[in-house]
Amino acid sequence: MRYLMLGAAVALMAAPLSANPTTCGHGTKLDFVDSPKEAAALAKKEQKLVLVLHVSGHFEDPGLT
Amino acid sequence: MGALNNAEVGKYCNEYFVSSYQKVATFKIVGAQKQGGNVAAYFCAPDGRVLHCVAGPVDAQTFLREAKWVVETTKTCMKESVGKDGKMDGAKFKEQFRKAHAEKLRQEFGIVVEAVTYDPPEAMDEKDALTYRDPTGRPLAPKLPPPPINGPDVTLTEAKFEAMQKNAAAAPGNRVAVDGKGRRVVVTNQSLVHQIMAAHSMVPIERVYGSVFENILGEKISTKPVDVVKPFTWVDKNGNRLRPEK
Repeated sequence: MRYLMLGAAVALMAAPLSANPTTCGHGTKLDFVDSPKEAAALAKKEQKLVLVLHVSGHFEDPGLT
Repeated sequence: MGALNNAEVGKYCNEYFVSSYQKVATFKIVGAQKQGGNVAAYFCAPDGRVLHCVAGPVDAQTFLREAKWVVETTKTCMKESVGKDGKMDGAKFKEQFRKAHAEKLRQEFGIVVEAVTYDPPEAMDEKDALTYRDPTGRPLAPKLPPPPINGPDVTLTEAKFEAMQKNAAAAPGNRVAVDGKGRRVVVTNQSLVHQIMAAHSMVPIERVYGSVFENILGEKISTKPVDVVKPFTWVDKNGNRLRPEK
């Protein structure tokens, strides 16, 4: 029982990460996946559109976007 | 971070889009100053064909408005592109979307272009005469020709068009273009995007990005790392000669 509860707690803590394990915001409010290819595959699966940013500069620069 | 750090933009984009990014150009650090650095946001179908683009940095309100326009226009065009057999007609969807760009350009900037619904032949393979290359042999991102500007929207009064032109003259990337009758019109980054998209939306991103990044934003496409330029390493930023370290 103790192990079961421990397992459930671990699963709950890990849930938000495992739902979308590869996204990163790079200091923004957007969730970025690693590559446009990955974005396309995920978009097709989730029936969404794809947003691709082409950048020359630092994301952290306040004037960039 | 500007627009992309806005909570509303983040919520909307995460709901309707899967986001990713690519580095396509370099920037220079000259002394302590950064030269260059730019961004273009492409709203695409899941197969990588471009529906719309935001060229250059914009505020959160503008970014959100453009993102919502893409989503709503996609929904409308999908509804209007269903054939008699109940299936969606891709060619009709493309035609509708290009016309939507031409209409947005007319409404927001008072500039009229004819949407191009026919695509010219594409290169068949690497040795095809239509495949252009740089001196190193790498195929170039093509510069897609925008449709010509027919002129101002004739349904607008002169005063209304002048007001739109005044707004355009204050917008980022404003410059003067010439319409079909030789009249000078002020265009902006975003009006140029609509002009290109009226002829080239639903074209793969690898064929569009060169036109956006080089022709609209004036950046040179490159995948080089950051260039650091400090031509005179023996003087400090005030021009004083540095003493050699002992």
